[in-house]
Amino acid sequence: MDVTSQAGQIDAAGAATAQPQPIPGLRRLVSRKVRERALGYTLLAPALIIISVFELFPIAFGFYISLCDWRLGCQAIIGADNYLRGLQDAAMWNSLLVTATYSIITVPVQLGLGFLIAVFLFQRTRGHELFRMMMFLPYITSTVASAAVWSYIYSPDSGLLNTALRAIGFSGLRWLGEPAGVFALIAQQFGMTLPGWAHGPSLALVSVSLYTTWVFIGYDITIFLAGLVNINGELYEAAKVDGARGWNLLRHITVPLMSPTIFFLLIVTVIGTFKAFNHIFVMTGGGPSDSTQTASILIFQQLYAFNRYGYAAALSFILFTVILALTLTQNYVAGRRVVYE
Amino acid sequence: MSVGLLLAACGPAAQPAAPTAAPAKPAEAAKPAESKPAAPAAQAAATTAPAKPAEAAKPVTVSNPPTSPEMVDAIDLTGKNVEVVYWHNRPQKDQEMLTTLLDEFSKSNPYGIKARAEIAGASYPDVYNKVSAAIQAGQPPEISVAYQNQAAFYRAQNAIIDINPFLKSKKYGLSDEDMKDYFQTFLDSDLNPQFQGERLGFPTQRSIEVMYYNADWLKQLGYNEAPKDWKTWEEAACKASDPAANKYGWAFRHDASNFASQVFSRGGRILAPDGASYVFNSEAGVETTAMIQRMFKNKCAVEIPTSERNGEQNRFAAGQVLFTFASSSGLPFYQEAVSKGSNFKWDINMLPNNGKPAVNLYGASVSIYKTTPEKELAAWLVIKFLGEKAQTTKWAVNTGYLPVRQSAKADVLNTYKADPKWGAAADSYARMFDWFQYAMVESPVAGYDPVRDLIDKEVATKAATDANADPKKLVEDATTKANAILKENAPKR
Repeated sequence: MDVTSQAGQIDAAGAATAQPQPIPGLRRLVSRKVRERALGYTLLAPALIIISVFELFPIAFGFYISLCDWRLGCQAIIGADNYLRGLQDAAMWNSLLVTATYSIITVPVQLGLGFLIAVFLFQRTRGHELFRMMMFLPYITSTVASAAVWSYIYSPDSGLLNTALRAIGFSGLRWLGEPAGVFALIAQQFGMTLPGWAHGPSLALVSVSLYTTWVFIGYDITIFLAGLVNINGELYEAAKVDGARGWNLLRHITVPLMSPTIFFLLIVTVIGTFKAFNHIFVMTGGGPSDSTQTASILIFQQLYAFNRYGYAAALSFILFTVILALTLTQNYVAGRRVVYE
Repeated sequence: MSVGLLLAACGPAAQPAAPTAAPAKPAEAAKPAESKPAAPAAQAAATTAPAKPAEAAKPVTVSNPPTSPEMVDAIDLTGKNVEVVYWHNRPQKDQEMLTTLLDEFSKSNPYGIKARAEIAGASYPDVYNKVSAAIQAGQPPEISVAYQNQAAFYRAQNAIIDINPFLKSKKYGLSDEDMKDYFQTFLDSDLNPQFQGERLGFPTQRSIEVMYYNADWLKQLGYNEAPKDWKTWEEAACKASDPAANKYGWAFRHDASNFASQVFSRGGRILAPDGASYVFNSEAGVETTAMIQRMFKNKCAVEIPTSERNGEQNRFAAGQVLFTFASSSGLPFYQEAVSKGSNFKWDINMLPNNGKPAVNLYGASVSIYKTTPEKELAAWLVIKFLGEKAQTTKWAVNTGYLPVRQSAKADVLNTYKADPKWGAAADSYARMFDWFQYAMVESPVAGYDPVRDLIDKEVATKAATDANADPKKLVEDATTKANAILKENAPKR
């Protein structure tokens, strides 16, 4: 378009025909914006390409697989059949229940214990650096290796735990091989029988949860310590002047000001427990009697043992939806209780 | 993709050169084929009756895969320089030996075929997963190790081919003498009932499930020989058990083959002969389940956790377990473990039985993937080479597996007897050849892997952990589920 300023043109009849008036500097403005955007996208391109190729495309392709009867290729598009099958599959619901139970056992213990140990280590007691390192070591150790070592500790006939139990006069337990509920086992010791709903999580699941706590508590402690460092010391001074001591300081200053850290760890840990796979696969493979078959283990088995590629993909999207819903719920419920200084 | 070749068959006088023989002189070589893409109509399987001498000059259209020996005969590898990649799961030591063998093949074959081996994982499931991914990516290897049920799964996806036409090829196949030299039970184990007896793999090794027992300990208990029936076996195992001293009669391993071996030895089967249904809910299956349950109820057995690698072998070597059921390929490892451990006298035998001996024959075969007729033929020639007497002898000696040819037996045994590392295990190894006549195969059908998992979790483990479970109900429920899996994985026709 010709943007030179013109008053108009006189047509044959002498009437002036109005011409659109160009905005001064528009071309420069537009071209600058285009240039800026082009530069922006150029700088973003490497990351966008990597994310598209290695994340977005696999997700989209995974979704496509979930709509297929897929063996070693798409035999037929079956729409939502895999999803409907998943929602009607008792094994899927059982795996979600096991996952939720695992999360309920692990998250409070991990965060509660981690927080207390962090507060203790924050007091600069003698040897606190050594303690920090010891606590963090399990987290940086190979999960598969440490899970294998713990399997030996849990070994029913020659494991460390049962050897210790026998030494003090108790009979050994089957630990990772025990599908019975922990409450049912305790009641058994007293000659009682509990109804099915009161059996509690299997001893195998509790054993796995114990290992999980041992591994991840180091990470939680490290994050908690970083949060504690950020609390302004003057607040403690002021509270002490007002007569506040130990528990009150913790209750009214430390915990509220640590709430963003607690909230972050809560979100991360819950997501982590719902995705847990490696150590459970090494320690129990989902057994005994599916008592440790979390959603991730079920998906893996459907994929590799049953060759149900489409179904496994659909289960993955169901699990993703569950995790997303949980995270949004946590954001809504706990997010409002977070105190930002 | 189908590739058609129009070939002029060589005259009856032209004798096929053995694949590993020196290259034929030009005058003797088969006439090079005129290769051109097949018309769509010609891409269908062209099975023809064996050609009469008068018809010998008729051109043969080769489909992919070739469906008759004549089609295989018509493939010409001259100047094609085909490369064959072999995926396996053996450790580095065996990879080196395999490389040496394949280098020898590459140098000696008259067709310019280059063969090489690649480790595709540390276990059969690793190879299976990698192959599955490769098939989906359209880049399978030319050959790989595969269990019969895995091969059936690949075949259901049209990813591997029937080897029978290659085997029966006049030009490239095995002679009658060679066929007789192979252990027939080994060859038969690759004929798949789901695919009308197609040969979906070819054996390069085999092993059987045997009973390892501590002979010294057994003697102390008052038994001069290995128990031959289940009643005596159970009695001896329970006599040996002393949980307080961490001593048990039997090490229970989470492995469906363990269960299958016991079912066979009681006269039962895992799969019906026609491959149409699972039948381990028979009396033999119930008896096996009930015995596992009793063994744990009476504290005569110890469970080996899945996470404990070689647990039963280590405990056996430490003198903590009287009996284990394991693969014969473990013989050298048992020998080594015992000599480093409690160093007692031990031996192997068939599992006890109900009057009719039976042994569980297993071991992966080598399957050929659907690529091009030339590559498929080259792959077959590699497999054929690996099965020759010299190669199967080397392989058996190196790995502890059984050789696939009868003519290799003496050489293998002599090598073992001369090697002090083998010790008494060499004599035990020799006895296994007499047991092949009782060989049975678990389940060569697609979808057996999840059924194996089912047998372990829903039958054996439940029997071991729940003293009140009903053995009959356990096997009935598991068989029902197994048949649903069988149906789901059955080839779509």
